[in-house]
Amino acid sequence: MKLKEVDRTAMQAWSPAQNHPIYLATGTSAQQLDATFSTNASLEIFELDLSDPSLDMKSCATFSSSHRYHKLIWGPHKMDSKGSVSGVLIAGGENGNIILYDPSKIIAGDKEVVIAQNDKHTGPVRALDVNIFQTNLVASGANESEIYIWDLNNFATPMTPGAKTQPPEDISCIAWNRQVQHILASASPSGRATVWDLRKNEPIIKVSDHSNRMHCSGLAWHPDVATQMVLASEDDRLPVVQMWDLRFATSPLRVLENHARGILAIAWSMADPELLLSCGKDAKILCSNPNTGEVLYELPTNTQWCFDIQWCPRNPAVLSAASFDGRISVYSIMGGSADGLRQKQVDKLSSSFGNLDPFGTGQPLPPLQIPQQTAQHNIVLPLKKPPKWIRRPVGASFSFGGKLVTFENIRMQSQQGAEQQQQQHHVFISQVVTEKEFLSRSDQLQQVVQSQGFVSYCQKKIDASQTEFEKNVWSFLKVNFENDSRGKYLELLGYRKEDLGKKIALALNKVDGTDVHIKEEKEESEFLPSAGKTFNISISGDIDGLITQALLTGNFESAVDLCLHDNRMADAIILAIAGGQELLAQTQKKYFAKSQSKITRLITAVVMKNWREIVESCDLRNWREALAAVLTYAKPDEFSALCDLLGTRLESEGDSLLQTQACLCYICAGNVEKLVACWTKAQDGSNPLSLQDLIEKVVILRKAVQLTQAVDTNTVGVLLAEKMSQYANLLAAQGSIAAALAFLPENTNQPNIVQLRDRLCRAQGEPTLGQESPKIPYERQQLPKGRPGPVAGHTQMPRVPTQQYYPHVRIAPTVTTWSNKTPTALPSHPPAASPSDTQGENPPPPGFIMHGNVNPNAAVAPLPTSPGHMHTQIPPYPQPQRPQNGWNDPPALNRIPKKKKMPENFMPPVPITSPIMNPLGDPQSQMLQQQPSAPVPLSSQASFPQPHLPGGQPFHGIQQPLGQPGMPPSFSKPNIEGAPGAPIGNTIQHVQSLPTEKITKKPIPDEHLILKTTFEDLIQRCLSSATDPQTKRKLDDASKRLEFLYDKLREQTLSPTIISGLHSIARSIETRNYSEGLTIHTHVVSTSNFSETSAFMPVLKVVLTQAHKLGV
Amino acid sequence: MFVERLPDEGPGDQHTEVSVINTVDTSHEDMIHDAQMDYYGTRLATCSSDRSVKIFDVRNGGQILIADLRGHEGPVWQVAWAHPMYGNILASCSYDRKVIIWKEENGTWEKTHEHTGHDSSVNSVCWAPHDYGLILACGSSDGAISLLTYTGEGQWEVKKINNAHTIGCNAVSWAPAVVPGSLIDQPSGQKPNYIKKFASGGCDNLVKLWKEEEDGQWKEEQKLEAHSDWVRDVAWAPSIGLPTSTIASCSQDGRVFIWTCDDASGNTWSPKLLHKFNDVVWHVSWSITANILAVSGGDNKVTLWKESVDGQWVCISDVNKGQGSVSTSVTEGQQNEQ
Repeated sequence: MKLKEVDRTAMQAWSPAQNHPIYLATGTSAQQLDATFSTNASLEIFELDLSDPSLDMKSCATFSSSHRYHKLIWGPHKMDSKGSVSGVLIAGGENGNIILYDPSKIIAGDKEVVIAQNDKHTGPVRALDVNIFQTNLVASGANESEIYIWDLNNFATPMTPGAKTQPPEDISCIAWNRQVQHILASASPSGRATVWDLRKNEPIIKVSDHSNRMHCSGLAWHPDVATQMVLASEDDRLPVVQMWDLRFATSPLRVLENHARGILAIAWSMADPELLLSCGKDAKILCSNPNTGEVLYELPTNTQWCFDIQWCPRNPAVLSAASFDGRISVYSIMGGSADGLRQKQVDKLSSSFGNLDPFGTGQPLPPLQIPQQTAQHNIVLPLKKPPKWIRRPVGASFSFGGKLVTFENIRMQSQQGAEQQQQQHHVFISQVVTEKEFLSRSDQLQQVVQSQGFVSYCQKKIDASQTEFEKNVWSFLKVNFENDSRGKYLELLGYRKEDLGKKIALALNKVDGTDVHIKEEKEESEFLPSAGKTFNISISGDIDGLITQALLTGNFESAVDLCLHDNRMADAIILAIAGGQELLAQTQKKYFAKSQSKITRLITAVVMKNWREIVESCDLRNWREALAAVLTYAKPDEFSALCDLLGTRLESEGDSLLQTQACLCYICAGNVEKLVACWTKAQDGSNPLSLQDLIEKVVILRKAVQLTQAVDTNTVGVLLAEKMSQYANLLAAQGSIAAALAFLPENTNQPNIVQLRDRLCRAQGEPTLGQESPKIPYERQQLPKGRPGPVAGHTQMPRVPTQQYYPHVRIAPTVTTWSNKTPTALPSHPPAASPSDTQGENPPPPGFIMHGNVNPNAAVAPLPTSPGHMHTQIPPYPQPQRPQNGWNDPPALNRIPKKKKMPENFMPPVPITSPIMNPLGDPQSQMLQQQPSAPVPLSSQASFPQPHLPGGQPFHGIQQPLGQPGMPPSFSKPNIEGAPGAPIGNTIQHVQSLPTEKITKKPIPDEHLILKTTFEDLIQRCLSSATDPQTKRKLDDASKRLEFLYDKLREQTLSPTIISGLHSIARSIETRNYSEGLTIHTHVVSTSNFSETSAFMPVLKVVLTQAHKLGV
Repeated sequence: MFVERLPDEGPGDQHTEVSVINTVDTSHEDMIHDAQMDYYGTRLATCSSDRSVKIFDVRNGGQILIADLRGHEGPVWQVAWAHPMYGNILASCSYDRKVIIWKEENGTWEKTHEHTGHDSSVNSVCWAPHDYGLILACGSSDGAISLLTYTGEGQWEVKKINNAHTIGCNAVSWAPAVVPGSLIDQPSGQKPNYIKKFASGGCDNLVKLWKEEEDGQWKEEQKLEAHSDWVRDVAWAPSIGLPTSTIASCSQDGRVFIWTCDDASGNTWSPKLLHKFNDVVWHVSWSITANILAVSGGDNKVTLWKESVDGQWVCISDVNKGQGSVSTSVTEGQQNEQ
């Protein structure tokens, strides 16, 4: 495709490869005259600007020269890699002169642009070449067999490569070898080529086919192979390119006979040795592979001959050709369409006329219609073979899970003419880990969650804390796992009970001296005898009298009023007590209204039990005191709300220091979501380690809330979900897919989390559980192949995909398993209840498209077929590498909250004596805590656990309109979820939104059913003889986890060796030979793929070990 | 398998571990030009000068050839996986001027569409963010970029940007789907108002940014000029929720630039030189979390780069896959650093 053209009859030279931008120098040709017979000469420099779509080349400079040129080359002499010096232009003139120009000076418009010149040669200098190894060396050739080697650093005296060849002839071409720097070749129209060795200073070989028809017009060395060169012949009788190998210089290695008439010039690409340009008197420009002789490309040219052709050194796809019609054209050999260019030219033309009415004719010009000279579309095909420079040899691309996919194609030192060597074409997949500290801390956290060693973990964190605040946060978190947590909180706030007691004692002593007791005794003794005396009832008109009268008539109210009026507070209160509760309350109010002491408001709050007042209106600098008061007095059901409130105030009103303290309030409140929000505000979360800081706290707090309240804290607010998925993403990016899965919130329908979970599951290399065709959490777009098929009603326009892009996971109707006495009740749940389990998640937007079966009932109906999963929260996919008891597992049966001492009747105000962290003796909550969260043994298949609920008890979980979208759920219903110490309103386990994938399970093949029955039977036997709860739990867990095995059996994905191993184990179980079973087990594990077996083999081992121990 | 470590790069820098976990013998008969994992990282697609595209299951360190796709009549330069919500779809582009879209149907891979709208080698294909639908951008040596949009029922609509890069477009890369002001929640239920953008690099030494106008036409939005030779590859960094947009570009001139744009209008881009290599840089690839850039150079070396706290790009690893060349690669890596 033609890119540019310049109307000049000229020799041409591209700027060296180092130079940027690319220039083309043209020097008036000595050999041609244009139609004006002008003998003026000039040297011009044009810039190749490919971002300009027009065909014009931008002229940078013109220098009027007194010479016309036979040859022009541009050498990189003294250029640095930055190209700030633009090298040197070397021109061969008509009268034996060689002139050196400074192109930068030409461009700058200087008058003095000639660096040096020398006219030592005889006749026109037609041949010039720069040594590519020593760019200061230039070879030149002229008449009389003259060859000189010029040193640009010492231009005055040239060298010769050896004695002149005889007979004397013109030198038409000269070329330095491309591999060996001291080898030079020259050729003459007579057809002889001579190779010189400059070290020996003599010709070392002469190349000629002795046909006498080779008229050398071109000579070029092979770019890679030192001993090969090509010669082109100008003679119409022999219009060939000969390829010679000097190792066999008696006849040409190959002859390219692609031109019909004599060849005028050749150029061998330095970028790809398989590309040789040739132009000839047949008006063709061809690009051939000199190594095979094949013509790869014919440039679309006009009918004119080209006499000079050059590759652009910097842009390997670009070449220039000078033709006898007085034009230099720049082409790309990459093909392409010229239509765009042409249209641009027209646009340019019409726009330069202003389009309107350039000639004042009153008629605007009609838009120019270019004759579409084509239905044949101006396509220029590219080279038949791709040039080397577009063949990408290396690549590295990241993919999910921190994997890096790399490949390389090792460059073969292509042996001379040898066939391409067989090489291995490998692709490498590597794991990239950049955040090791992050990973190890995450690992620790997981271990802690598994081992439940929270207290020591928190302690470690406290010890390692760098800041006071960090230390506080961890201390507060730690308290959650200790007895008397409220008391401990108070201590952390600086209120130690013992200390306080001492202080009070001290204070009393100071005021009254040491004789307090004596005094009291005295008073008593004085008072008691007086009871026996008579006293006077005054009914005078003074206050005393009036009070007396009021009392006598039983009018306590007036009596109290009188006392108050007379400022006899104590009398008033005493009287009020006698007057009954109502009066007492009124009196208290009135008293507080009158009293002005500094601590009145506190007393007011304490007496009126109005903690909200304290929290709402205390000075925020006293937040510690406010929090202490709440910790001391607040009832469980309002405790967390108050902590929240205080936190919120701190966060919104306080200064930056106080804002961070809000975190402590949220920890007390057990409000994970707000903790996240507050923490995020205060910390930069972009760094993996700071995210780790947050997640550690969140996980621990969630655990704490879970343990202390036995509340289903798996619900995850929007912000927390975002953080957790961010965290999971980071873990995944480090290759810790399993860990990422473990930390990802489970029971959420937030699309990004569902998608991430799906991605993680699949990345783990596990096919989706119990499914034939894996589904993905996306609305599949239909992409029928071939012609439009009959997919009516299924026109899924991907152009508006955003409305369709919802997780495939269907939101199952919320069913409270415990509430259903019979399994058949399940499907009868009204679909209307379905959004309620989303717990503040966004309900499905209106565009939600149900796939396939629309009836949610139908979606749930097959549930009983997988009874083992009915009442647990099932991850939508198997997670075999997950640690047992993942942190967000449902609270297991035996993880009943620690029993703490708890007064039956909560009676504030009691000084900080009774720990009130634990649930009240609420019968309902107690019951609920005992709900089996762990799976029911498989023997009780298809039967639902009978609810332990008192009959007719309403279920909060269902009817509650839980949370508005966008509101963190825990915030919207604090009284339900509760806080540490709050009564539990909602411990009901929801059947989590079950992905539809879950539903259809294939049966276990008959031949393997024996495995299931054997293992289950064994577990049952163990269960019945096991005594301690820990073993029972282990077995329960094992029974659950063996489902992974059964699923694999259903899918038939296990390898035969594992299957046979399992059968052997089963047989040894039959014979009660458990130690043999264990041996087989070890064998299977050691010989199989870990990831294939990791989901169930460890569990099987547990069962075998237990069986062995119990001797069942 | 081996683990390679670099000497300390500086204070605070953690060691980066790059360990080969799977070596896939592709059995290609000629140079490999691209290798891409699918969305999940479980399947590998490769393409080669032997005109074939191959798909391998590489789960659990294995390699199972799933498909050997024949259909191109020239070297295949790049492959690109579509998002799985559209099914299992792979696009490939070749020197034969064609783009082929392959699809897995009932476990078998077949050609589902062939795009023949280019006049020269098609060098790069890239799927748009899935939020936009199935849209494929293709960059060709004919200088044009074409955009194929799936309109349903097997039909693809073609838009073409002619003369996007004179004498050739070498790379295309989509901007992540970001709604203007995406930090503010969109009204729910409403179709987000995405602005589609992509970057391209070409033989005119330019990186260009393209934007879809409201009338559906593509318009050149920006010209990023810094390279002094062909731009070999561009990679728009995944969005990590920050308002900054980032693009990496690499060139024949050995330079890798990181372009960033902080302003909302998206019009002010500033380049930062990551490094000047001694040879052509062929490929740049961002990690999913957008904080690491893999740079593949003409010297067959791959280096990993990360921005340090002070904003400088630091080489954190020198990946070398073949055994036996560990020591040299490390020392050369050090030289590069100096």
